Amino acid sequence: MTSAESLIGAALPRPDALAKVTGAARYPADLVRPDMLRLRIVFAGRPHARIRRLDTAAALAHPGVLAVLTAADVPYNAYGLIDADQPALCQDVVRFEGDRVALVVAESNEAAEAGAKLVAVDYENLPAVTDPRAALAPDAPLVHERLGTNLLLHVPIRKGDVARGFAAAAVVLDGEFSTSWQEHAYLQPEAGVAYMDDAGRVVIETAGQWLHEDRRQIAEMLRLPEDQVVVRYAAIGGAFGGREDLSVQHLLALAAWKLRRPVAIVWSREESMIAHHKRHPITIRCRWGAGSDGKITAVEAEVIADGGAYASTSAEVTKVATLFATGCYEVANVAVDGRAVYTNNIPCGAFRGFGAPQAQFASEVMVTRLAHALGLDPAELRRRNIYREGSVEPTGQPVPEGVSAAAVLDRCIAEARARLGYGEPRAQPADPRIRRGVGIACGIKNVGYSFGYPEQATATVELFGVAELERAQVRIGAADVGQGAHLALRQIAAATLGIPPERITMITDDSSEAPNAGSASASRMTLVGGRAVRDACLAAREQWSATEEYHGMATVQFRPSATTPLDPVTGAGRPNYSYGYAAQAVEVEVNLLTGQVRVPRIISVHDVGRAINRQQVEGQIEGCLAQALGYALLEHFQVRDGRILTPYFSTYLLPTAPDMPDEIVPIILETADPEGPFGARGVAEMALVPLTPAIASAIHDATGVWLTQQPMTPERVLAALDAVTKRQ
Amino acid sequence: MQPFDHVSATSAAAAVELLQQGGPSGARVIAGGTDLISLMRDRIQSPRLLVNILPAAAALRYLRFEADGALRVGALATLADIERDPHIAARLPILTQAVRDAATPQLRAMATAAGNLMQRPRCWYYRGEFPCWLKGGDECFARDGENKYHAIFGASPCVAVHPSDLAPVLVALDAELTIAGPGGSARTLPVERFFAPPTDDERIEYRLQPGEVVSEIRVPAQPAGARGAYVKVMDRQAWAFALVSVAAQLSERDGVVERARLALGGVANVPWRVAAVEDLLTGQRLTPALAAQAAERALENAHPLTHNGYKVPMARAAIRRALLAAAGQEE
Ligand SMILES: Cc1cc2nc3c(=O)[nH]c(=O)nc-3n(C[C@H](O)[C@H](O)[C@H](O)COP(=O)(O)OP(=O)(O)OC[C@H]3O[C@@H](n4cnc5c(N)ncnc54)[C@H](O)[C@@H]3O)c2cc1C
Ligand code: SF4
Repeated sequence: MTSAESLIGAALPRPDALAKVTGAARYPADLVRPDMLRLRIVFAGRPHARIRRLDTAAALAHPGVLAVLTAADVPYNAYGLIDADQPALCQDVVRFEGDRVALVVAESNEAAEAGAKLVAVDYENLPAVTDPRAALAPDAPLVHERLGTNLLLHVPIRKGDVARGFAAAAVVLDGEFSTSWQEHAYLQPEAGVAYMDDAGRVVIETAGQWLHEDRRQIAEMLRLPEDQVVVRYAAIGGAFGGREDLSVQHLLALAAWKLRRPVAIVWSREESMIAHHKRHPITIRCRWGAGSDGKITAVEAEVIADGGAYASTSAEVTKVATLFATGCYEVANVAVDGRAVYTNNIPCGAFRGFGAPQAQFASEVMVTRLAHALGLDPAELRRRNIYREGSVEPTGQPVPEGVSAAAVLDRCIAEARARLGYGEPRAQPADPRIRRGVGIACGIKNVGYSFGYPEQATATVELFGVAELERAQVRIGAADVGQGAHLALRQIAAATLGIPPERITMITDDSSEAPNAGSASASRMTLVGGRAVRDACLAAREQWSATEEYHGMATVQFRPSATTPLDPVTGAGRPNYSYGYAAQAVEVEVNLLTGQVRVPRIISVHDVGRAINRQQVEGQIEGCLAQALGYALLEHFQVRDGRILTPYFSTYLLPTAPDMPDEIVPIILETADPEGPFGARGVAEMALVPLTPAIASAIHDATGVWLTQQPMTPERVLAALDAVTKRQ
Repeated sequence: MQPFDHVSATSAAAAVELLQQGGPSGARVIAGGTDLISLMRDRIQSPRLLVNILPAAAALRYLRFEADGALRVGALATLADIERDPHIAARLPILTQAVRDAATPQLRAMATAAGNLMQRPRCWYYRGEFPCWLKGGDECFARDGENKYHAIFGASPCVAVHPSDLAPVLVALDAELTIAGPGGSARTLPVERFFAPPTDDERIEYRLQPGEVVSEIRVPAQPAGARGAYVKVMDRQAWAFALVSVAAQLSERDGVVERARLALGGVANVPWRVAAVEDLLTGQRLTPALAAQAAERALENAHPLTHNGYKVPMARAAIRRALLAAAGQEE
């Protein structure tokens, strides 16, 4: 018997790691065979236009081109995760640069490319609206004519009486913050193959984050029963939310289904950058008040998210950003208005953090500023307001049980004192150009789906053996996007069943073979998928013990405690069932002359409920910090008049190894979540939430200036320093 | 990418001959291909004939110090060759510094010294699908558009900056190019004059006649005791083009500057030599105050665009640092 205790938390090596580092692992692009037809998408290349005429004759005449598919070929020409508002192929209007207009099918890549150039589209350019505030003006051009407005969503949250709250405040501060797009920049650009199998089903082999949702949308588009569509995942080269929306999957399916032949597509980096959704640019205007006792008395905020041309998950992201406008602090009086807006920019959707990083850039900086204004230690002001067991969220409900925000903060401050000299006079480098500073920030992010979105995971477990369990087979349609979900789920099964992990077979990557576990997103798979696996293991074991059979089997659907939609007027409701808590302390060195910011050290404290595999949890924290550091300092996705200027990694700058801190100290706390398997919650997104405000505070500590625009690039640092010098 | 023919040349003369067969604009030399291939892939350039000069490596890939101290760099010497050369590191460390900060190890292994000088701008309008002036269009989109990486000096209709790290250093070292032309002809040209801002008639940052091939870069012997420093400011720590860069080369006698060279990268269409500052420094003792004065003077005529005003204080800071480093002083 393998004891559960020794398996849970064990840093078991990843079964897929060797194949991935040696190049043996098969990613979607590795599935392409020479005999497959190749696809090429004709993109709009302009932010807003009416299609007057689309002529495919010249393309079809090109040798090797077999077909040019257009809107007329799509049985149901609308898809999307929440609202089906995005055409697979545009019929009359194109709404952003990366809108898909036609699909060329050819015998070779070269022929497909040449064919795509020959598709003649006669456009009538329409006025484009690319600024979300301008898009809300009454006379703004409409992105979706039929809606009569560019407002995609307005979500108000009201609690208490803000006027009274501000009246009671000793200090009231205003702030304005803005963030830009962020590109997921996964290692593997979108790719895949599709074909008709012997049973006449459409099979799509690709990468994604949710087998069954991809299947649902593709089946709907082709007007086929879901069991006529099979989605399989190859090795997935990162996702970060960027594979939640369909990119190439449905177009592969369309071409294979139309031509009844195997087809393949591999996007270039530029195609990937221009065509898949991004993190939302969000502007936040806010006002925070606090009493002389350090209690936050009121928060008022306006949150505006640029959703781009199609809905994607904008509504959900904006609700999350609106909910977290007050961060992880209990505030008696709250009035926040969140708005998601359609524009002719690239659509925005899921990205690690899902609205929380943008919101808490603002809230965490405001909290630190309040502390300064009151002459309090920023850690102390946080302590006086931070969520504790029984605290009430802005939506009027108590924070779900297992609240560890204060413990996480306290541990972070203790580490920061010991390692970074937090709270002591700062030793400055001998070089007068370099100023050192230390900053802290907290973070909160929901684990799992919010606001009443149906939340479940299903697992099937089969057990084999007579006197003793010999082996087990676990079926769960859970995407391993690189985070190690499959190993974590296997460890949970092994620990629950008491058999070694290698005696468990995992069937995870085929929508027709494994039940629906929901998406690998929202930091949820370990909690929800893990709990489904654990419950199915327990049920199968009970069934197996009760009989003399060699074989036992159980299918269990796990549903965590319910959440509710928010009241349309007050925002009241139960937004989430579980939260992850994080706190970070960072040290920065600001070069006063060049504006360059280096981050030598980061302490990142996380309550993960229970680390199922400690090494993977640390990997998530460290990997996430690389993405967070890029977000905070470097990654500046530039769009002008709806045209993307940075579709290359030569101008969209990701952090390199030398940009990373000299030292990252990941600290893992374990306050059990009441619903998670072995108490586990999630960690995937958490480190992204506090880093930008922590660095902003550290820059302020070093230089006395506040940066309020993400990313905090050298030119912005210099401009902020310059503005202060000029004022003096 | 447009289809093209590909031929190999085993010498500079052979390359010249083959280029002439391709006609005036239809043929191009390809060396490491690190810039040309991406321009072709994005259809910014579509030559019909590529003359590959890598097979001429036996003749054109070398690094040699002459008896008088001059350094000869074969056109096909790679940035990695320069980076790893111990003699250059000892005698012209400014060159080592310049290439060490350029691109990535993989790119440096392919990128040739001559190709580096002829790389085209990284302006996002130029690299993207925008019919901008430099590509033959009517309008420079960067001038009133997104221009945070663009020029703060110069009068060309194009406000892109020269991306090379090598170019400002070669200008500061008074380097010359040897250029092979039709009929076995050869001419030499100071690197500084090889570069010229794009004009209506010649929308390119350097001047080479049709059929010409760069065969060598010659760095003349520097005066005894001359020292230099290259300072590159980047958005991130590695693998980024210069926001601003400064090459400073000084010779001093008895603590007094005898000769000064100062060239900036990332601020204009071409490496930007600042003669006024060179004059200011000559005959003076280089002190922090003088370096600061020089930095002020160098940026006097800067005219930043809407989003690149930050380059002015950044360039001042980099100039101070480079001058003091060249003089062996700390700031
Ligand atoms: C991602 C990336 C980052 C980079 N970062 C930097 C950087 O930080 N700093 C920097 O300085 N550079 C940088 N570069 C540019 C790189 O150094 C140049 O692309 C390279 O030096 C060009 O040399 P090549 O041999 O590959 O030239 P090619 O691409 O082969 O040719 C470039 C041009 O020069 C012409 N040419 C080449 N050799 C000759 C010759 N002998 N005679 C006549 N014409 C010739 C070609 O016809 C072509 O027009 C970067 C490039 C990339 C792709
Ligand atoms: S700066 Fe030069 S390359 Fe850029 S848009 Fe203007 S003309 Fe074109």
